[in-house]
Amino acid sequence: MKVKLWGTRGSIPSPGPETIRYGGNTSCVGVTLADGSMLALDAGTGIRSLGLALANEPARLHILLTHLHLDHIQGLVFFAPAFQPQTEIVIWGPASPEASLRDRIARYISAPLSPVEVRELPCDVSFRHCPQSEWEIGSARISAASVSHRGPTLGYRIDDGDSSLAYIPDHEPALGADLDALEEDWISGLGLARNASLLIHDGQYADAEYPDHVGWGHSSLSHALSFARRAEAERTLLFHHDPMHSDERLDQLSSEASQRWAEMGGDPGTIELAAERAEYELPTRTVSAISAT
Amino acid sequence: MTTQKPLELILARNLMSALSTPAFLVDEGGVLVFYNEAAGALLGKRFEELGTVGAEEWGSLFGPFDKAGEPIPYDELPLVVAVRNGRPAHADLQISSADGARHQVEVSAFPILTPHGSQGAIAVFWPAGSSNGAGH
Repeated sequence: MKVKLWGTRGSIPSPGPETIRYGGNTSCVGVTLADGSMLALDAGTGIRSLGLALANEPARLHILLTHLHLDHIQGLVFFAPAFQPQTEIVIWGPASPEASLRDRIARYISAPLSPVEVRELPCDVSFRHCPQSEWEIGSARISAASVSHRGPTLGYRIDDGDSSLAYIPDHEPALGADLDALEEDWISGLGLARNASLLIHDGQYADAEYPDHVGWGHSSLSHALSFARRAEAERTLLFHHDPMHSDERLDQLSSEASQRWAEMGGDPGTIELAAERAEYELPTRTVSAISAT
Repeated sequence: MTTQKPLELILARNLMSALSTPAFLVDEGGVLVFYNEAAGALLGKRFEELGTVGAEEWGSLFGPFDKAGEPIPYDELPLVVAVRNGRPAHADLQISSADGARHQVEVSAFPILTPHGSQGAIAVFWPAGSSNGAGH
């Protein structure tokens, strides 16, 4: 399984000279499975670049949406494969008692917010609510579970051979909960992340920022580290960077994360801040960073 | 992969943990999966001491009695009605704590309904004569 980060920012695109290294695009992770199947995890503005890179790739792909906040769907109408008639796109996402996934996404892909409507997309697009039980895409088994965030929100786990990726980009598992004391099955998202080869997890706030954002649906650095420790993932990427955090600030948080991870008994080389365009290959039981440019 | 409890139960437990009102939580199968510190004080036993208790078992632990002092059948307890029938239920009843003392309480229970169906139920206990549910 190969993983490439196309957008690591949370909340709103944050381009500019101060965010060049970690990136300004919002959530999108490209996944290539062992059998060549293509997945996109979320469709923030990062999916625009993913679409351009897929020019000669398979004409069928799956987009797994964690939820429908704008920073996770904003790139959909700028995703080049959606405008190619030979492309088949399956969009997966959380169910809601209010309306179907298609109808909820159509609120964004429609006037006056969008120049095109869902029905006008040239590709063959379908929408599916994620089942509660595991299902298969290509060579992978996919699991989804509701996680603590605002509104219906999913986390995902992708098992492909002996490799596993857990993706929980918007997550506040410590809301009203003690992550160090609770039993495992009472912690939001932990079942998805348990022993994953690679965990991509919300790490939006510095600890000092969190008290002003309790209940907003995101994690402090301390909470993200506690969650990662409980999950015992082989490698963790802190993701969904706050738009107010410059590269310089993120470097500071990265150093703090590594130091505190070591103090918790972890290998400081197994935790890092997610950087746009970084690639990872997940062979059996070992995760290798290919590049981080 | 391990399985987490339904998120609605996790959030309910988190909320209940912060309340000073005695509250109980059962899963969709009727298993008592949590009660908070206020409920533990009322019963004289903390949840951590007791742990989860199977359906049909937990009712007798607290010996719910009606106003005449007669045991209330398990099927008629508000929490059971809520989880089985998917509707709210209310009752005045007595419960016995670990030291044998009886407490008059009002109980309101409501089901936890989700897009995937019922995930359990919550019961809140209001000690009789209390205006805020925390006066035991």
